[in-house]
Amino acid sequence: MQKAKLKPIILAGVFLLGAVGLILYIVSLFYGLFFILAAVALYFLYRWLSTDKETVIVEIRKFLKNLTIPVIGISAAIVIGAIIMLISGYDPIKAYRALLYGGFVKNWHISILNATPLIFTGLSVAFAFKAGLFNIGAEGQYYVGAMVATFLGIYLGMPPIFTIPIIFLMSGLVAAAYNYFPALLKVKTGAHEVITTMMFAHIARYLSSVFIRWMGGDSAGTHPYVTNPILDANWLPRFKGLFPDTNYRLHTGILIGIAVAIFVNYILTKTKFGYEIRAVGHNPQAARAQGISIGKNIFRALLFAGFLAGLAGVNQVLGLDHKLFENLSAGYGWNGIAVALLAANNPIGVIFTAILWGALDAGGQYMARTVQISNSIVEIIKGIILFLIVARYIYSWVGNRIKRRKQLASEGAK
Amino acid sequence: MGGFFSIFNEDLLVATIRLSTPITLAAVGATVCERAGIVNIAMEGIMIIGAFFAVVVAYYTGNPWLGLLGGVVAGALFSMIHAVATITFHLDHVVSGAVLNILSFGVVRYLMVIIYGHPGTTEPIAKGLAEYKFAVPLLSKIPVIGPAFFNQTPIVYLSFLTVIFFLIFLKKTKTGLHVRAAGEHPLALETIGVSVVKMRYLAVLVSGITSGLAGAYLSIENSVSFTEGMSNGRGFIALAANISGGWTAIGSWLASLFFGFADALQIRFQIFKVLPIPAEFFIIFPYVATVLVVAGLVRRSRPPKAVGMDFMIEREED
Repeated sequence: MQKAKLKPIILAGVFLLGAVGLILYIVSLFYGLFFILAAVALYFLYRWLSTDKETVIVEIRKFLKNLTIPVIGISAAIVIGAIIMLISGYDPIKAYRALLYGGFVKNWHISILNATPLIFTGLSVAFAFKAGLFNIGAEGQYYVGAMVATFLGIYLGMPPIFTIPIIFLMSGLVAAAYNYFPALLKVKTGAHEVITTMMFAHIARYLSSVFIRWMGGDSAGTHPYVTNPILDANWLPRFKGLFPDTNYRLHTGILIGIAVAIFVNYILTKTKFGYEIRAVGHNPQAARAQGISIGKNIFRALLFAGFLAGLAGVNQVLGLDHKLFENLSAGYGWNGIAVALLAANNPIGVIFTAILWGALDAGGQYMARTVQISNSIVEIIKGIILFLIVARYIYSWVGNRIKRRKQLASEGAK
Repeated sequence: MGGFFSIFNEDLLVATIRLSTPITLAAVGATVCERAGIVNIAMEGIMIIGAFFAVVVAYYTGNPWLGLLGGVVAGALFSMIHAVATITFHLDHVVSGAVLNILSFGVVRYLMVIIYGHPGTTEPIAKGLAEYKFAVPLLSKIPVIGPAFFNQTPIVYLSFLTVIFFLIFLKKTKTGLHVRAAGEHPLALETIGVSVVKMRYLAVLVSGITSGLAGAYLSIENSVSFTEGMSNGRGFIALAANISGGWTAIGSWLASLFFGFADALQIRFQIFKVLPIPAEFFIIFPYVATVLVVAGLVRRSRPPKAVGMDFMIEREED
């Protein structure tokens, strides 16, 4: 009886601590992290109260086990990165100190700013992955979302309480519609989405140049550069108003990103829609035998993935840039893939991997500025981390080797 | 509109061949690779690596032929990561390819900053392979197709040879048969005592070599320097060419020619301003063409049965 009463209180505590920790962290207070850790601990306490001790221990073990591969992968990548730096004549300790200090402490707000669009593109890729589809062209949907957001941001003059949701929704829907063709081709002809979405990404990139020229960019030259700014009223609110100590550019897009990630997680795990998506991704034949339409779910998955990637564009335009830049190699699509793969397509995991990626970028810039080590080393470290975490089989392969060797040794001893 | 038809001339065919060369090379590599059952979407990244190392080697040795070799070797080595990841470590092919693409952008940018001191575009090399253009006697005198096929630069000829070689290799040789079996029915191949793993490694190596060559073409033959993003989706277009060409070397080549044609046409439309619309509408033309061709042709052809599938076998002696 006592337990049953405590449960909702503890659950509320988990959410409260999590939210407070998150906001503190976002407004550049490092201590927020402790609140988040406390929330995790409290969550396990909650689990302990709702079930029995053994299951909680199993869950904690599983949680730690899930963490081992990323930890090993990241440490190995750090070592390899250090070797590369030594070979090219840099001091790795100086570099890593600057990288970590810049990414996680000094320029935390830039990490968050970098991470926000990656949460959306990462969710987009992860969602498609759940249906067994590879949305490699998230960058294209990003551009489409950004274009619609810029257009509406310039012309939609209403109270922001109406315009911002409208812009988010409309841009996402148009970006989803942009993915309609790859989905249609996949279902009707079997054309692989890796090729079609990639081609559509290139198309969107070039169309964005046309759009920028049309919306006030340089019409004469080969590069149109930038559109007119959107209306001030359509800016996403910034944290500055609430927390005066915050960096002035930090906007509330991150909260939307986290909310969307939780929403996507809810859809995938708790709804029929999500169940069907996962069933099709897991085993199409079995799904069909259950009466789940594969074609319909391919459509749903790719359109929803397009919607999510489009939101990344909206977030950048309304939150950070307030205009659309011609940025032909921004790489939100590729980084979104990286973030999704790192998180093993878990929507909640995407939040953290996006922040890691954003922090590496921000730290890299800080490192380049302060200790004059090229921040492109970060790109390599990112690639190696990704490879070492994605290639999970490496660990079991190495494990099997060691086991076999031990076995042989013990047999030899006999 | 009087000038509109004037763009359909001999030069257009020459440009078609030139622009299709990197796509052809990579597409033939993709054909071999997918015939052995490995999907290689890392070709975009391999191309970038090949292009970059070709320029670096040519820049330091002053010899574009060594540059060509450097590009090919770098491409082959980089492709081996894909082979190890997918064949030995059983990683999903598409995931591994995507990761390698991401890795290639990082590697090239890092080395560029170290070697040249800045990202973006490298210093030009002294002498590109384009200077070794030569005309095949007699054949180059044939009207229309002569200049296009027999008065070209070295890697263009190499691409023709590649197509012919792998056409014969896949159809007529025993190794070619084994490669195809690795992608159709790996277990059957293993039962006759041929290692599926070896065949698949070989096939990935082939795609690495041809994609590296394609990269070298972009940087030291079609240009004299390397620019980030210069492959511009060609690796993916090559995949599309392979699929549209029905997983055959000759089909891949024909599809690549079509994509090269779309690109050549696009450039002419831009230069001659045949229509009063922004240049970008022409630039996207090859990408649109790719989507349409893949969508139109993919149903007609049948992919290798075990393409993209993992092959795992328990062995006694190991």
